Amino acid sequence: MATNNKDNQWKVDFPIQQLDATQVSRRDFAKFLCLVSGGLAVGSGYVAAKANFFPAEKVQGEHFVCKKDELPQGGTKSFVIPGSTIPYVLIRTEKDDFRAYEQKCTHLSCAVFYMPKSGKIECPCHNGWFDALTGEVLAGPPPRPLPRLDVIFKGDDIYVREFETSPKTL
Amino acid sequence: MSNFREAQNQAHPNKTSTLMVALIVVLILNVSIQIWLLYTALNNALNENVDIAFPAFLASLGLFLVGFGWLYFMPGIIRNKKVKYR
Repeated sequence: MATNNKDNQWKVDFPIQQLDATQVSRRDFAKFLCLVSGGLAVGSGYVAAKANFFPAEKVQGEHFVCKKDELPQGGTKSFVIPGSTIPYVLIRTEKDDFRAYEQKCTHLSCAVFYMPKSGKIECPCHNGWFDALTGEVLAGPPPRPLPRLDVIFKGDDIYVREFETSPKTL
Repeated sequence: MSNFREAQNQAHPNKTSTLMVALIVVLILNVSIQIWLLYTALNNALNENVDIAFPAFLASLGLFLVGFGWLYFMPGIIRNKKVKYR
């Protein structure tokens, strides 16, 4: 037993009294909390700098995706814009609407899929649901709508370009 | 002339214990608010509402400085008489 007086060698090896040990632990915890606090402040600074001075690059110009007849009603086509690694998905709904969204859930970046005949896009990771016509969140944990691209037609060809949002209403 | 720190170091262990707990509670509260600020700033920045990010950073920095200054009041290690084991 540690308190046995016959062998007190451990007291030489670890010469800290119980009361001191308790205090050291709580002091270290308080300092660690302060370190975490500093880390969070730095993180907030990074977010502020990134948002204000290095905004995300927008899609430049128009990009060909596929021909109209390659995509059946209720079908989807994944594509990547040249020069970017962001995956997108082009959806042709059963009502013949064409929509293009980033194929990354806004929750934890899982791939999202169009659920045929439902008019909804599903994120299978945490059961998140988006409206296939607007990209708005319908249910689940995603905090933001899916980023969207404009779909335009040139004859039978389908092109995408940066989505032009309507002026914000206050 | 004695100051607050000297008096605090001479305080009874029960008092220093209470001070320590109060200090940690306030630090946890600060960190919780900072997590909320970071989460809000990030979500809004990704949603193209960048106006929130900078005030959130200032608030977070302010809370960190408050927490850092708060450590001044941390009780010192209790010094007992050295016991000779041999």
